[in-house]
Formats: sequence, C-alpha cells, structure tokens
Amino acid sequence: LNLETARSTAVSRLNRMSGITDEQQTGGEMIIDELSTLWTALVCYVVAGTVAVVAVVLGRRPERTVLAGLLLGLALHTASIALRWERLGHGPFTNMFEILSSNIWSLLLAFTLAYWRIPAIRASAAVVMPVLFVMMGWLMMTDRIDGHLPPTYHTVWLYIHIGLGKVFLGAVLVAVGLAGVILLRHYGWGRRRFARLPQDARLDDLAYRCLAIGLVFDSLMLIAGAIWAQDAWGRYWAWDPLETWAFLTWLALVLALHARVTFRLSAVTGATMVWGVFVLGFLTFFGVPFVSMAPHKGAV
Amino acid sequence: MRWPRLDVRLAADALASLRLTLVFIAWLGVSVLWAYYREEGRSVILALPLAALALNLAAALLRRPALYRNGPLLAFHLSLLALVALAALGRASYLTGRVELAEGVPFDAAALEAERGPWHRGRLQEVRFMQLGFDIDYAAGMRRGATRNRVHYIDEAGFEQQALIGDMQALELYGYRFYTTHNKGFAPTFEWTAPGREPVVGAVHLPSWPIHEYEQANRWRPGGAHDELWVMLQIDEPLADAGSAWQFRLPQQHRLIVRAGEQRQELRSGELTTLAGGSLRYLGLRRWMGYVVFYDWTLSWMLAAATLAALSLGWHYWRKFAARPWRPDD
Repeated sequence: LNLETARSTAVSRLNRMSGITDEQQTGGEMIIDELSTLWTALVCYVVAGTVAVVAVVLGRRPERTVLAGLLLGLALHTASIALRWERLGHGPFTNMFEILSSNIWSLLLAFTLAYWRIPAIRASAAVVMPVLFVMMGWLMMTDRIDGHLPPTYHTVWLYIHIGLGKVFLGAVLVAVGLAGVILLRHYGWGRRRFARLPQDARLDDLAYRCLAIGLVFDSLMLIAGAIWAQDAWGRYWAWDPLETWAFLTWLALVLALHARVTFRLSAVTGATMVWGVFVLGFLTFFGVPFVSMAPHKGAV
Repeated sequence: MRWPRLDVRLAADALASLRLTLVFIAWLGVSVLWAYYREEGRSVILALPLAALALNLAAALLRRPALYRNGPLLAFHLSLLALVALAALGRASYLTGRVELAEGVPFDAAALEAERGPWHRGRLQEVRFMQLGFDIDYAAGMRRGATRNRVHYIDEAGFEQQALIGDMQALELYGYRFYTTHNKGFAPTFEWTAPGREPVVGAVHLPSWPIHEYEQANRWRPGGAHDELWVMLQIDEPLADAGSAWQFRLPQQHRLIVRAGEQRQELRSGELTTLAGGSLRYLGLRRWMGYVVFYDWTLSWMLAAATLAALSLGWHYWRKFAARPWRPDD
C-alpha cells in the first residue's frame, strides 16, 4: 500500500512538472510511458551525437554505433509521438512542445537518411547533432501541456503543409552539416579532423543540391499553406508574422541559389549563405510562433 | 545637341542581368520587412520591386538562351511572371469585407464594411442569403470546436437552397466567399413604434460572446426616438462552462435592461414598454454571426501558376542532378 501511495504521488508530481493537472490526467501510466519513451529517445540521440563528435575529434569511425543510436532514438521517438497522438486524438501541431518534438523527429529522420545513404558525409554528424542538441534542450525546458486542435486544423492541408515544411527544413539541415564542415575547415579547426570527408567543392555541390530540394519543398509548403489559409480564414495571404518570415526565408533561399548561378562563389561564401538560410528558416519555424501565432490559431 | 540612340537590344541585355536580379530580390526582401513593420502604403512598397523583378525576368526570358531553351526553367519563370501579373490583377479587382447577420435577417450588401480594388466589378448586389442559426461546440477550457452554421440562399440559377457552412467550408455565391468567424453573439430583437409611423423591427448586436461575456451591452437609436437606447443582456443561468464541454446556445432565462435617458426598464421576451418618443416591445433573443467576405477571381489561376512554378522547378533540378549524380570524388 505504501509503495502504491508513493507511486501515485510520484505520478502526480511528474504530471505537475509536465504541466498536467490531476484533473486533466486520465491515465497516468500512459503519460509516464509517453514521456519516458521520449526522454529515452533523446538519450539515444545525445549518445549517438556525442559519439559522432568524439569520433571526429579522436579520428575514429564508429559509424554503425552512431547509426544504431539514431535509429533506436527515432523508433522510440516515433512511439512516443504515436502514444501522445492516440491519447490526445490529434497530431503534434498545437503547441511549442509538440512542434519542437515533431521537428526534432523529422530533422533527425532526414539526417539519418542522409547518414545512411551517403556514407562519405557521415562525419558531418559532428556539426548537425549539436544543432539538434540545442532543440532537444529547448524541448526539455518547454511546458508539456496538452494542446487543443482548433477547428481550422481539421483538414488534410495541415498534414500536407507541415509535411512539405519538414522535408524543406530536413534538406536544409543536411546542407547545414556540409556547410559547417566547410567553415570549420576554413577556420582551421576542422582541417585535420574532417580530412576524410570529400573536398570542399564536392561538399559545396551537395549542399547546393540540398538547398535546391529545399526550395522546391519550401515553395510547395507555401502553396499548401495558402490553400489552407484561404479555407480557414478567408484569405490566402495576409502578411501575418509567420507568413512574412516564411516568405523572407523563401527569398533568402532564392537569393542563395541565384547567387551561385550568377557568381563563381567560393565554398566558404556558399556555406555562409547556407547557414544564413538555415538561421532564418529556424527562426521562422520556431522563433516567430514563439512571439506570435495568433492568426494561425483558432480563437475563442 | 544629339541624344544618344537607344539600342533596344543593349538595353534589354542590361535589364536581363542576373546581378540585377540579385539586387531586386534583396530590394523585395527589404520591402517585405518594411511593409511588415509599416502597413501604410504596403501595396506600393511591394509592387515596385515586384515590377522591377518582372521586367528583369521578362528581359532575361527574351535575351538569355539558357532560360528560353530549357523547358522546365522556362515554365518556372513564365509561371513566376504570371503569378506577379495575377497578383496585380487580383489587387485591382479584389474585395474583402466583414458583415454581421442575425438569424432570419437577409444579407444586405449595403451593410458590408469592405475594402475593394479600383476595378472591382462583382455582382454583390445579386447575392441573396439568410442566416438560419448555428451551433458551436466548445471543449473544456473554453476551447472552440466545430461551427455548424445553417444558411438559406438563392443560387445563381435562381433556385432556393440550404447549406451547412463553417470551419473550412465557405458559402460561395457569384464568386464571393462568405466565411463564418469566431465573432458571434446574441442579438436582442425589438419592435419600435413611434406615433404616426410604421413599426420598425431591429436587432441590436451585442459584443462577441463568450469572449466579452461581461460586456453584453450596446446602444441603438430607433427612428423617431428622443433618446438613444442602452441595452444590456442579463443572463440568469450558466451558459458557458469552462470546466467541461458545452455548446453555444441561446439562454432560456434572461432579462434585458433598457435605459433611455432617465428611464430604466427590465424586459422579458414579449414585454412592452413606453419610452419618450414611442413604445418598445422586446421580441426575443437571436444569435448573430460575423462573416468574412472575400472575392478574388484570380485565386484558382494563381494556384495553378504557383503549382506549375514549383513543379517545373522540381523538374528542372531533377533533370539537372540526374544528368550528373553527385559523387564524393569527382
């Protein structure tokens, strides 16, 4: 009996930490499973990422270990998202906790695919994973409240819009890893440590291809978003904060790709532009909703 | 003094410069930022760099073989040009507006608060529809769910129809789209009779509910009345429950407090009171719904142009990258 009481108190405390009141909580076991699965997934990612960074520093190649860690993390993360989806009856779209979690998942999926399919660039995990660590830290500090799906989110365009956006950001993330290697080499630190990766020109070419894929999917994401906005709010484009910054991101992407066609850019300049696009895209995805999401949410 | 002769080809070549494209893209970016922080003159601020980009692109399409000999790239850039042209036409002929309609009240184009483009030539005056009432679900925590709004309308062939509209489902008549909004509330309906005049029926739209739950009052001056009427709704039963799911509905138990000058009256449905300048009968409470009205004939064309642009860009890159797959050691 004492053990049961202690367990119940612990569940209650964990839920309070998670922003879930006792009244809201209908199945403490499930919530614990959902969160503990997510935390375990994050541990897998962090271990895999740390191994990737240390391996680059020490000049080792534990690539299978890193891939296994990423895959295990993705499997657990998928399970966690599925459990939450099942419990709440909607996908991870409604608050910062869900948006961060689902984007960490999709970015890792995109990078794991690149890691698996393009062995020559695996060491770029040492650049990509620390970026994702920042998002994971943010996720852990975010209120884990249950979101409510506004009535305007009951549409297939939500899935299309978000899915296309995830492909866009995933493609840019792969480019960011390659650009990071180029920049680290340029500034000296990475010259020896990333010696086994292809030449800068080859990395630059691959980063360019990733940006091009990103542009196509970013364009489709904006179109799907406009269709959704027209149906939901009676306007396809209204220059609200998210739309404005999404368009600026698209313009930055166009500018970066056009500059490559216009000038013979050095790999370092190209890499700097990739990072510029990523920072803008990152701020649009995660910074602008943090400041204002009013037009993109159902009001009372 | 002789003016230098303008060589059209040279001018087109200069205008088709890719460097100029970069400058114009950067200009558009700055304009977007400018328009974001200062709404005044937004259209002009955005139109100038877009026009410059369109000119630059048109010149490039004429003068750069790399563009006009590459099918997918040509389709992409032509689609972009079409998008800019359609956006300009859309802005010249658009209409956006807001209107509130109480149950049983037909839509009146004159009541629409609208912005419209200078070339707007729609058939708004021919639109006939009437608000029949609505239900809205709320989840615990005052979180709005589905809106089911019933309308009666006359279609473009002249037939009477009924429809259920709401979230993601607009009523479309003569190219105008009527969208329900979160803006809705209660409307006490009165019959005002001034001596020697025909009785007038009017609905006073109270502020949106439940967001303005504690401000359910408004003013109305019927024709011939000496004083403006101040009307407040007093609901005597719990309607909205923040702790559990509920549905938007009319209150069964309520009173109206009506003030006209120094007079103060409490009215229930069907009651009559005499005020300075006439008599007022409270007919009952109705619901009103706020609509967003939208008209832009370019919408489907813009969608087609944008989709073609994105797909042809994808096709271009696919061909380009498939022709020379990436290898680490090229």
